[in-house]
Amino acid sequence: MHPNYPCRGLGLALVAGLLLLAAGDLSAAKIGDLSDTRFWDQLVRFFSLRDPSLRYTLTASLFLGTCCGLLGSFIVVRKLSLMGDTLSHAVLPGVALGFLWTMTKNPWAIFVGATIAGLLGTVVVHWIHTTTHIKEDSAMGLVLSGFYALGICLFTMIQQLPTGNKAGLDKFMFGQAAALSAEDLWMIGIITILSLIAIVLFYKEFLVTSFDFGFAHALGLSARFFHYLIMLLLALSVVIALQAVGVVLVSALLITPAATAFLLTDRMHRMLIYASLFGMGAGVAGAFFSYLGNNLPTGPFIIVAASTLFALALFFSNRYGIIPRWIRNLSRDRRIQVENTLKAVYHVREENAFSHDGIPVKALGDRRNLSPSEVEKEIRQLVRRGLATLEQGEPEPPPSPERKLFLTASGWETACRIVRNHRLWELYLTESVRYRPDHVHDDAEEIEHLLGEDTVRQLERRLNYPTRDPHGKLIPSLRDLSQTPFAGRSG
Amino acid sequence: MNMIPPFDVVTFITAPWAEAWESSLWIVVMGFLVNAACGLVGSFLVLRRMALVGDAISHSVLPGIAVAFLLSTSRSSGLMVVGAVGAGLFAVWLIEFIHRNTRVKPDAALGVTFTTLFSIGVILIALYADQVDLDLECVLYGEIGFVYFADSFALLGMEVPIPVLRMAVTLFGLLILVLLFYKEALVTSFDPVLATSVGISARWMHYGLMLSLSVVIVFSFESVGAILVIAMLILPSVTGSLLSDRLAHILMMSGAFSALYALAGLHLATWLNCSPAGAMVVAGFLIFCLAWIFSPRRGLLAQIRKGRGSFTPDVSGKLNPGLGIKN
Amino acid sequence: MSPQAPPPLEIHDLTVAYHKKPVLYGIDLVVPSGQLVGIVGPNGAGKSTLIKAILGLTPPSSGWVRIFGKPYRSNAKRVGYVPQRESVDWDFPVNVMDVVLMGRYGHLGWLKRPGKGDREVAEACLEKVQMLPYARRQISNLSGGQQQRVFLARALAQESDLYLLDEPFAGVDVATESAIVTILGQLRARGKTLMVVHHDLTTARNYFDMLLLLNMRMVDFGPTDEVFTYDKLQATYGGRLTILSQVANSRSQKEENVPLGR
Repeated sequence: MHPNYPCRGLGLALVAGLLLLAAGDLSAAKIGDLSDTRFWDQLVRFFSLRDPSLRYTLTASLFLGTCCGLLGSFIVVRKLSLMGDTLSHAVLPGVALGFLWTMTKNPWAIFVGATIAGLLGTVVVHWIHTTTHIKEDSAMGLVLSGFYALGICLFTMIQQLPTGNKAGLDKFMFGQAAALSAEDLWMIGIITILSLIAIVLFYKEFLVTSFDFGFAHALGLSARFFHYLIMLLLALSVVIALQAVGVVLVSALLITPAATAFLLTDRMHRMLIYASLFGMGAGVAGAFFSYLGNNLPTGPFIIVAASTLFALALFFSNRYGIIPRWIRNLSRDRRIQVENTLKAVYHVREENAFSHDGIPVKALGDRRNLSPSEVEKEIRQLVRRGLATLEQGEPEPPPSPERKLFLTASGWETACRIVRNHRLWELYLTESVRYRPDHVHDDAEEIEHLLGEDTVRQLERRLNYPTRDPHGKLIPSLRDLSQTPFAGRSG
Repeated sequence: MNMIPPFDVVTFITAPWAEAWESSLWIVVMGFLVNAACGLVGSFLVLRRMALVGDAISHSVLPGIAVAFLLSTSRSSGLMVVGAVGAGLFAVWLIEFIHRNTRVKPDAALGVTFTTLFSIGVILIALYADQVDLDLECVLYGEIGFVYFADSFALLGMEVPIPVLRMAVTLFGLLILVLLFYKEALVTSFDPVLATSVGISARWMHYGLMLSLSVVIVFSFESVGAILVIAMLILPSVTGSLLSDRLAHILMMSGAFSALYALAGLHLATWLNCSPAGAMVVAGFLIFCLAWIFSPRRGLLAQIRKGRGSFTPDVSGKLNPGLGIKN
Repeated sequence: MSPQAPPPLEIHDLTVAYHKKPVLYGIDLVVPSGQLVGIVGPNGAGKSTLIKAILGLTPPSSGWVRIFGKPYRSNAKRVGYVPQRESVDWDFPVNVMDVVLMGRYGHLGWLKRPGKGDREVAEACLEKVQMLPYARRQISNLSGGQQQRVFLARALAQESDLYLLDEPFAGVDVATESAIVTILGQLRARGKTLMVVHHDLTTARNYFDMLLLLNMRMVDFGPTDEVFTYDKLQATYGGRLTILSQVANSRSQKEENVPLGR
């Protein structure tokens, strides 16, 4: 509830990750070296965490999930998702140059090279956009593919080198979490903790610059500085995630968990936490499947896991999910159906000047233009909801159309309420909005189901407690209800 | 670094045409065809601010291609096209679906969709490596270098590799489409409301564009992979637009650029011994940079000479690429 | 005689250009303290640009702006700002309280978080705009008028001396409009200075003490009764200044481009 310390839960998860790491012997073989491919053995190995390199992978997944979830949340709410994509492709030549610098797969050299290339890429997008008429999307596409092509050229050149084939640079394409070294893990840990600290310290600055850049500037904050800080952290997080997820898919680790969280919550600090947790989950799941399949690329599995979470949220999120919303619409439609039937009963009784308590089922069908079977369905709905009762007749089908239908007290009240809403609204439209009386019916048909009691009170006050609608019919008010000769039949 | 061979003008120019000249020829021809076809479709994408939809489709066709390979063991192009076009259009539909039904913004919807489909494709290829005649390297940068070794077809006394033939037919078909529907494509890109008011369905043009885009991407896929194709979609027309304002001129220029990219790329690739497709894009990017700096009316130098400051930067730092999605 | 306090806002020869096309020419302006000033002019007259230039959001090509005698950056705390409602994404994951608390950020140092005192201020501000019951509501579930009230509450929470409001009456209901007018009046009564971009001439006369007529140039600035005359409004909205705008257009287009593909 208090938007402070959005990352407390994450801290716990990270500590757990560190313990996991410390528990293992760090000098064991990489997962990729396993010769055993039997499914059950692998499964058991995975969950027993016997394999120390597996502990590496899992720790890395937890860190990466946190880091990418946190920064991804900011880029998703700032609509910079595709900038993440551009950045991730633009790092490729930097990776290659970092390798050429030391001629080994030195993580620090690659880290520096990739970060510089990534930042250069974002700067070039900005330059193209600000000095030409070229639109941002084209500028991003240009930089994304141009830098990537340069990287591909360098990579194919490196592969010709005597040491090139052993470099394992292809792991940077689709990710191979199993190939992470202790140094990689250190780097991942350091960057994650740096990002975490930056976001905890500057949470309010990041929040206000992301929500309303102009206002943040007006507050005297250096909105530009925080924008660049986010971009820098973004570049760093892309670079550390390269090994595990790969160049092509690293942007998804930023976007997908954050977009999932965006479907589930309305508060930024919760979004940060959810996105991190989803990122962690996806990372672990990806590592798991990659492990089962023995040395399959990790990146695609991580992304598919993250996307599965997204799909779940897309369909089932209580707030914004498609299915819950569909169900809500459905139940609303059903309520409107019921209310329309009740209204029809009212109208039939009104025609008889309220002289008979019960009305024949057939009259109801005529009124609503329904076939006998449809009327039966409607009536069953009313009875089930306790809004009406049927005259006891011969129980076996076919039911007689002359049977009588009686509304219960609550059914009658609802019917009156709907008719009242309808007629009040018609009156309001003709009196206050100056509609012609023959133009108001259709609008009132919709509005009658939506008016709340507060609005009705306001309308009544404004129209001076009217009793007749524009067509001269009685507006049933709740006051009248108790005085109507009919007070409902209970059961 | 002894990685870069010494530069020698004569070798640089003659080397590709010395021994394996036939292979070089077909690489250049294929490179030209791919660039020209992509550039043609891409011009309209750029005009509609949908460049990144090209990105999305080029990634999304992968699962379609992979499934087509799984279903038929041979490289039957018919099934491949159906699979890939299906996957591409599915991606477009999915992006719209997510964007319309939730509050997820189009950029994030796009990012989620294409990475998911691409991942599924990569997983399929990795899992069924023995059944799918397509390796991950091909996905990354294509195999245009081997186009000469593909099956060929005798035509006018020449052995024309089938991928080249296929691409040529695609380009020809596209040209006809553009000639037929130039007016409609232009007006729907520029002002969809006006187009609708004069009876041109902007929606059908949109889906028509997406369809041709998917077809072009499928046939380019084997040659240049999923990512370099984005450059080929955008580069020619964007470079052209730095030099001219008229769409017709830009389209013609992008044809010329395509030939230039292909040729320059081949020489670059031979000299440095690297991926020809990558080298073509690098060459294209360099040409773009030259146009950016030296364009007589819009270049950086022209702007400096006129003593004008740069454009006012967009302070918000927010990007709103159009995705062809009406809100 | 004691040295006179510097005016809340002083603008000297301010020129602003967007994409090489000037939108404001040589504005000179001194706004006296405790006034409710309306900025009025036709579409594209540069009303919002003026506000943004005062805040330093759009860098001027020439001229300067002083807030209480100092450059904006050193006096940012004394300025409250209500941006246009469309300038933000209302799906952003924050609730009403979060937004109003942002008004307090200028008073908090780096690394500090809004505390209990800030919450109380924010609640009081929400109460003033009658939005307290909505404090925990997500901002996308608000009507246009309610969104505008939230922005106003956020500006109130800034507790500033000079307020800049960009189109606060755009697209709001009648009740919100009168509520905002009341609050603006209360602020002025407490000695605050307010500058409000306004597009409705019919109400401008009643709402404001002073009017700034703007159409790329400053047409006039003074007490409403003196400025709100047929001639001056004609000069602002009428045809005379279109020449200036045409020149500006053609000047920028000579080097600029016609849109792609025309």
